[in-house]
Amino acid sequence: MPAESAADPRLLPIEIVLPIEGMTCASCVNRIERFLKKTPGVADASVNLATERATVRLDPGVAGRDEAVAAVRAAGYEVKPEAAVAAGAEGTAASLADEVSADDLDRERLQRQTLLQASVAIAAAVLIMIAMFTPQTVVAMMDLNKLILWPATFIQFWAGGRFYRAAWRAGRHGGATMDTLVAVGTSAAWVYSVFVTMYPEVIHLAGLHPETYFDSSTIIIGLILLGRWLESRAKGRTTGAIRRLIGLQATTARRIRDGVEEDVELSLVVPGDLLRVRPGDRVPVDGVVAEGSSAVDESMLTGEPIPVTKSVGDEVIGATINTSGSFVMRAVHVGRDTALARIVDLVQRAQGSKAPIQKLADRISEIFVPIVLLVAALTFLVWFLGGPEPRVTLALTAFIGVVIIACPCAMGLATPTAIMVGTGKGAEVGILIRGGEALEAAGRIDTVVLDKTGTLTLGRPAVSQVLPVPGTDSRRLLDLVASLEVRSEHPLGEAIVRLAREDELGFLPVEAFEAQAGRGIKGRVDGHDVTIGSGRLLDELGIDRAALTADADAAAAQGATVSWVAVDGALAGLFTITDPVKAESAEAVRQMRAMGLEVWMLTGDGRRTAEAVAAQVGIPSDHVIAEVLPADKDATIERLQAEGRRVAMVGDGINDAPALARADVGIAIGTGADVAIEASDVTLVGGDPRLVASAIGLSRATIRVIRQNLFWAFAYNVLLIPVAMGVLYPAFGVTLNPALAAGAMALSSVSVVTNSLRLRTVDVRPGHVRAMRRGPLGLIRDGAFLIVIGVIALAVAGGVLAADRALDSSSRQIAVTASSFRFSTPDLTIRAGEWVVVTFTNDDPVVHDWSVEGVANVDVPARPGQTAKLRFVIDTPGTYRILCTIPGHAEAGMVGTLVVNAP
Amino acid sequence: MDKHLNMAHGHDQAPVSDDAGLDPVCGMTVDKASASARELVAEHEGITYYFCGRGCKLEFGDDPGRFLDPSYIPAM
Repeated sequence: MPAESAADPRLLPIEIVLPIEGMTCASCVNRIERFLKKTPGVADASVNLATERATVRLDPGVAGRDEAVAAVRAAGYEVKPEAAVAAGAEGTAASLADEVSADDLDRERLQRQTLLQASVAIAAAVLIMIAMFTPQTVVAMMDLNKLILWPATFIQFWAGGRFYRAAWRAGRHGGATMDTLVAVGTSAAWVYSVFVTMYPEVIHLAGLHPETYFDSSTIIIGLILLGRWLESRAKGRTTGAIRRLIGLQATTARRIRDGVEEDVELSLVVPGDLLRVRPGDRVPVDGVVAEGSSAVDESMLTGEPIPVTKSVGDEVIGATINTSGSFVMRAVHVGRDTALARIVDLVQRAQGSKAPIQKLADRISEIFVPIVLLVAALTFLVWFLGGPEPRVTLALTAFIGVVIIACPCAMGLATPTAIMVGTGKGAEVGILIRGGEALEAAGRIDTVVLDKTGTLTLGRPAVSQVLPVPGTDSRRLLDLVASLEVRSEHPLGEAIVRLAREDELGFLPVEAFEAQAGRGIKGRVDGHDVTIGSGRLLDELGIDRAALTADADAAAAQGATVSWVAVDGALAGLFTITDPVKAESAEAVRQMRAMGLEVWMLTGDGRRTAEAVAAQVGIPSDHVIAEVLPADKDATIERLQAEGRRVAMVGDGINDAPALARADVGIAIGTGADVAIEASDVTLVGGDPRLVASAIGLSRATIRVIRQNLFWAFAYNVLLIPVAMGVLYPAFGVTLNPALAAGAMALSSVSVVTNSLRLRTVDVRPGHVRAMRRGPLGLIRDGAFLIVIGVIALAVAGGVLAADRALDSSSRQIAVTASSFRFSTPDLTIRAGEWVVVTFTNDDPVVHDWSVEGVANVDVPARPGQTAKLRFVIDTPGTYRILCTIPGHAEAGMVGTLVVNAP
Repeated sequence: MDKHLNMAHGHDQAPVSDDAGLDPVCGMTVDKASASARELVAEHEGITYYFCGRGCKLEFGDDPGRFLDPSYIPAM
């Protein structure tokens, strides 16, 4: 049993406030104070005339509210009928629950908004892409851009607004995150596109196609928001733990006041009130037993599976469950002051104080963003100083191209897809991981702290020894005792009955059954008087226990609980009951060690019991932290963290909740309390401790995949940065265009998603963790896969190019050269519906273009010395005018005629 | 504090006026009629005393001699 109740400082005097009626002057004050102070158990009393209140400090073990009220009455005054609601009533269950559910509603609303914004942005992007990349000669691209501008702008600021806000927040501290990259990249795309839409002639004059990147800006926003939504969906409620904790509280208490018993709202209970706790009730608030005795199940708070006997003067804790027997307690702590409220507070604080893990994508962005901006600036400078005319336009275009292509849209999918596959894989074997941050944190763990009860042990009492006195048969003893224990509802009795049932024992007739709460039971079984209970009970009955005391002491030293049995007034034997170690615990510890993790054990039990368990599972005694008060568990974790460790805490009790929330990763073993599960980052369903190693292994594998994903998300875009800078320009005349940007997005997204799917092959079954370890073979496998993906990507890109070439070569080829303000072949004849490729070479020192008047999108500009290509088809027969649209050039004679014949 | 001294000075003398009595316990001036109406009166050795409230009356009843002693200084 945890030793905290004896020396608990919380049993110091309590303070109660009584509203007093009928005081008129200072002598009334003196009189009431005098009467209160001479009441036994009152440490101090002070009465305030102005507020009409008496504040009484009393020892809850001796006196309570009723005694104080009696003293006030004896002095000749009345206490106002209903006490004011306890001080700190704002911290009661109801108000906390309201606060918590408001948080949840907020989160749900945000999540819905993210999904809405993501789907609208993606839908808009798809429509924009269709509009942009479908060849047509009906609507001029310049007019279409003016139409696309509106939805793209709406998406940019409605759905993309959060990136600006986040980037601003990060920027104020001089930092850059993934949000910065998204904000900068999409803004560059949007600003450039708006400019192109508004002033296409400026771009045209620079010899560039007036192409926009509205598709890029919207799809990046859409996909990144989709990723966010996927991630938040996996995350769940962090406030759930607190809600569950609050749910543990009783809602009413049975108050005894002035000899009248009534059920009242918990918020009306004040310190000093007498409360009756009936069998099966939850203890409503913290207090001391004033009358009666009972066994109270405190497992939810202490993790201790064996109920604790409480009698007059013992402390009882709110929210624990009274098993059998009824008692009257005196309230000591209510509202915010209860042990449960303090756990809520600890969980809240631990959750709040946990430094958010910087996501990998953010860490990359932090370095990547400044580099991109620098490269873009350099690009601008080089174009401006050494580039062709018009220098400003071309330099700006190159600058913007670098910034646009630097923002990989697959970046938003890199983490969420890996997390989805990883968590899905874990769920198959009962490893429930709460979101990406938990996964990332679990992959970095180097120290595991295991709670003893319920994690390494079964957390349920079981008979470990049946010791009859010489001459008594142990089966007979078990038969007699189990028959009697069937009647009791005590968990220790249940353990004995369970053992007996294995041998089909314990069905003897019982008469005169009698339970003495907290001490034992007796009855007439099969004609014998049988008594089962504590050593003290047998001593009181005058039964000599000497024959077995040595055995009992040895068992107690190992942490076992001893039940003594007397038959017909003589000692018959004893049962030792312990919480047995799980069969898988030793293997689990071995596995964690093999993964390079340091394993510690943490328990509220005494050192000898703790070391006995530690020895069984293979934890050295210098890694055992014993005799830890429930409230100090999180402080212990904090201490380990202060030593620079990344700590995972594995536990199951409510008392573990603050430690679970405090640890870098809280792992709840699923047989435990819901609260522990809610406060944790990882839940292991079924209670197999070997899953701890599996969960950490899976997390490590997932992080590896996330890293690879981020590499591939960035790789294609980084490859295109030199293209955007214009490295290919001198040789091929190629700079960044929307088709290249879209291609990079598609390729990186495919790489990322398929790479994440590879996580499906990870073996996470308990005990199979070895297979997850990474050798040279794993490295080759990972490398090979990624190279294959790259090759496929290149093949797809090559295929598209080849198809394009093939289409070109099957089309009618026409070469036109512009020199000295003349088209070399001004007059052309083609057929309607026939694909034509015009190769336009500009030999003049100024920009020219070749366009067909009255047909949208049949227009190809070329800078001096450049050769540009245009593929088009005209469906309507007729005679069209060919001209150069640069102002003044047509007038100078750059005209021709295009005759389109009927097919 | 000034008030306190005044009261101390006058407490064992005859009531200030016919309507007002002096509470011997706390030294407050009390309206006789309303004190009577609330039963805040007590007889001791033939003299009627008036009180501001139940506390003073009960205190007085417990030990009248203590409050009538000339060295007693009212609580206020």
